[in-house]
Amino acid sequence: MAIPDPQTRDEILLELTRSICPVCRTSVDAELNARAGSVFLRKRCAEHGQFEALVYGDADRYLQIQRNNKPGDRPKQLQTEMVEGCPHDCGICPEHRQHSCLGIIEVNTGCNLDCPVCFAEAGTGHQHDGFSLTLEQVETMLDAFVAAEGEPEAVQLSGGEPSIHPQILEMLAAAKRRGIRLVMLNTNGIRLARDPRFAPALAEIGVHVYLQFDGFEDATHLTIRGRRLQDEKRRALERCAQAGVSVSLAAAIERGVNEHEIGAIVRHGVEHPAVNGVFFQPVTHSGRHLDFDPLQRLTNSDVIGAVCEQLPQWFREDDFIAVPCCSPTCRSATYALYDGDDLVPLPRLVDVEDYLDYVTNRALPDLDIRHALEGLFSASAAGGTEATGERLECVACGVALPPELQEVAAKGFMVVTQDFQDSWTLDVRKLMKCCVSEIVPDGRLIPFCAYNSVGYREQVRAQQSAAQRADLR
Amino acid sequence: MSASSDPLAGLLEGEFAGLLEGEFAGCCAELYELPAVSWLLDGQLHPGGRELTLRAAQLAGITEGSRVLDVASGAGTTALLLAGELRARVVGVERGAEAVARGRGTAAGAGLDGAVSFTTGDAASLPFADESMDAVVCECSLCLFEDKPTAVREMARVLRPGGSVVIADVTVQANALPVALRGAAARIACIADALPLEGYERLLRDAGLQLHRTERHGDALAALADRVEARLRAARILRVPVLEPFRSELDAAIELARVTQRAICDGIVGYALIAARRPATSEGGRSSAAAPAAA
Repeated sequence: MAIPDPQTRDEILLELTRSICPVCRTSVDAELNARAGSVFLRKRCAEHGQFEALVYGDADRYLQIQRNNKPGDRPKQLQTEMVEGCPHDCGICPEHRQHSCLGIIEVNTGCNLDCPVCFAEAGTGHQHDGFSLTLEQVETMLDAFVAAEGEPEAVQLSGGEPSIHPQILEMLAAAKRRGIRLVMLNTNGIRLARDPRFAPALAEIGVHVYLQFDGFEDATHLTIRGRRLQDEKRRALERCAQAGVSVSLAAAIERGVNEHEIGAIVRHGVEHPAVNGVFFQPVTHSGRHLDFDPLQRLTNSDVIGAVCEQLPQWFREDDFIAVPCCSPTCRSATYALYDGDDLVPLPRLVDVEDYLDYVTNRALPDLDIRHALEGLFSASAAGGTEATGERLECVACGVALPPELQEVAAKGFMVVTQDFQDSWTLDVRKLMKCCVSEIVPDGRLIPFCAYNSVGYREQVRAQQSAAQRADLR
Repeated sequence: MSASSDPLAGLLEGEFAGLLEGEFAGCCAELYELPAVSWLLDGQLHPGGRELTLRAAQLAGITEGSRVLDVASGAGTTALLLAGELRARVVGVERGAEAVARGRGTAAGAGLDGAVSFTTGDAASLPFADESMDAVVCECSLCLFEDKPTAVREMARVLRPGGSVVIADVTVQANALPVALRGAAARIACIADALPLEGYERLLRDAGLQLHRTERHGDALAALADRVEARLRAARILRVPVLEPFRSELDAAIELARVTQRAICDGIVGYALIAARRPATSEGGRSSAAAPAAA
């Protein structure tokens, strides 16, 4: 082995950016460095010292996918002005570079679980600072979203556990009524499993279920959820299949806990009649979380690596495309065709990477195909849903699939990995292009990762619980 | 090498073989115009697509105003690219009258009919005057010509002294070729009749040309084989109508694609660009044969 030259540094400074101090949340300068094949974000707070976190496991991929950075679209409406600078001026401020592909409304803080991991710090029992939105509030928030977006692509009702809100069905119907193409319910599935009327009711409204699904092993469930939930998940999926409700599995993945179950989760999804996609979310260290080492956290490239290592017969790393609407390092996705026997990822059929390259200056043979692919590889897409189906049909046209088969093509299975940021990993450049927004009761749209790491969540929660206490008086 | 357990037996007896032995035998261009083949290749007619065509043009020194002959021009994709992108004046020669007509139509549609023309003709007897071209391009076609030496001599004849020919073609190590890639079915992938790299180089030298650049582009061929394999599998899943007549042979075709992928991976099958120049003086040809690396 060569002796390292003591004068040569062990890292390369890639970029300078801005972040926040994880302790006091003041804005601080930050460096992105490539070291030992990975990318790390390092920053220093004058008062609280230096912090460093892994932000991308594969430095080579990190650099490669920068070309997938699509110029953003302007939202129809801005909600705040620039005062202190990113990330302290949210709603959507003039500095923001992208509209919102996906809006999230957290309808309550109450839950029927008390997971050891919960960025929303939800739980059972009485919460002195909890809240539950009214239907009127949700309608107002949906209107604000429509005003900002015109024709919003996708909205997700979340919580807490939104399915235990007494008016959740009315809220979902209200979103559907506003013409939002993809209306999702983010749920742990307990109500779906226990209440036989719930899945049919969702089917009638046309809701897509985003089902928390972290794996199969007892240890996984006990560590992340505090309870064995395998039976509930199985029954929830059965009920969705019976009722004709399409489902995406959403798996929180934590290093050393369930990363070895990634392949099994994909396989389960691919084979289950109700499931059209799997979303992997490396656990963020916001809100309630396990002890963690910021230098050892899991990132998108690690999830992609695990999928390919655990399902080598189906996937390889270049099947995953960096999603261009947000910062390319935030989300990667692929679609696959499956017939019960063979599975073929879509990027092997058509040169997706070429179409989604926004940096190399060259003429594209067909802009319609780029447009269709942008719709597919977007934060507002979910596998097998009607809205996504229409776009996949477009792509199918592009690859010369005849019309009678487009319906089949629309059943492409989606695999996504989305690495949300926390106060350790926050990079304002990514935040400025974030296209997943929390819609809050005063009508602001706050980029999801800012909401969870900068202090907006706490602010909104305090306002809402104070208002509800005042109402009770 | 075991021929007995050939997974491709079905393929060789079926529709594909029928096509290959019938009117399409030896004529890449027409074969590649079949809807099924065109679907499998996603409109890409040769490895490396547009980028590699432009690289070949660069090796042949094609620039604005160059007089270029495209031998076996097919439906005219390359000719149109060279005219549109590099502003060369291009003539495409092709055996099939239908392809020629199509090329003319596309050129007119693209407003390039002033810069590109197409004519029917045989590579063994090119309908052009001596020394009338600045460059000759022959992409993925030489491997299919029955009389390769004559075809290359014809290319040399029409080149002006100092002009270049560039061959883009599949290369094989013939003695190591898996048996599955020796039959009629492999002709669909331009493999069965391909030469080793040195074979093409010898053809060029024997025609009195001086080799000046050889580039291996096996990656481009691997990418194309990968694409075809994936599209065959997608066709099996989706029951794509243009491939339904071949449904019973899809499994064998997928196996053929995989054998090809392995052969590429092992370096037995490859793809290369070979550029050679006609010596500036008219009698330079003989001596150049003895100095192949001259630049």
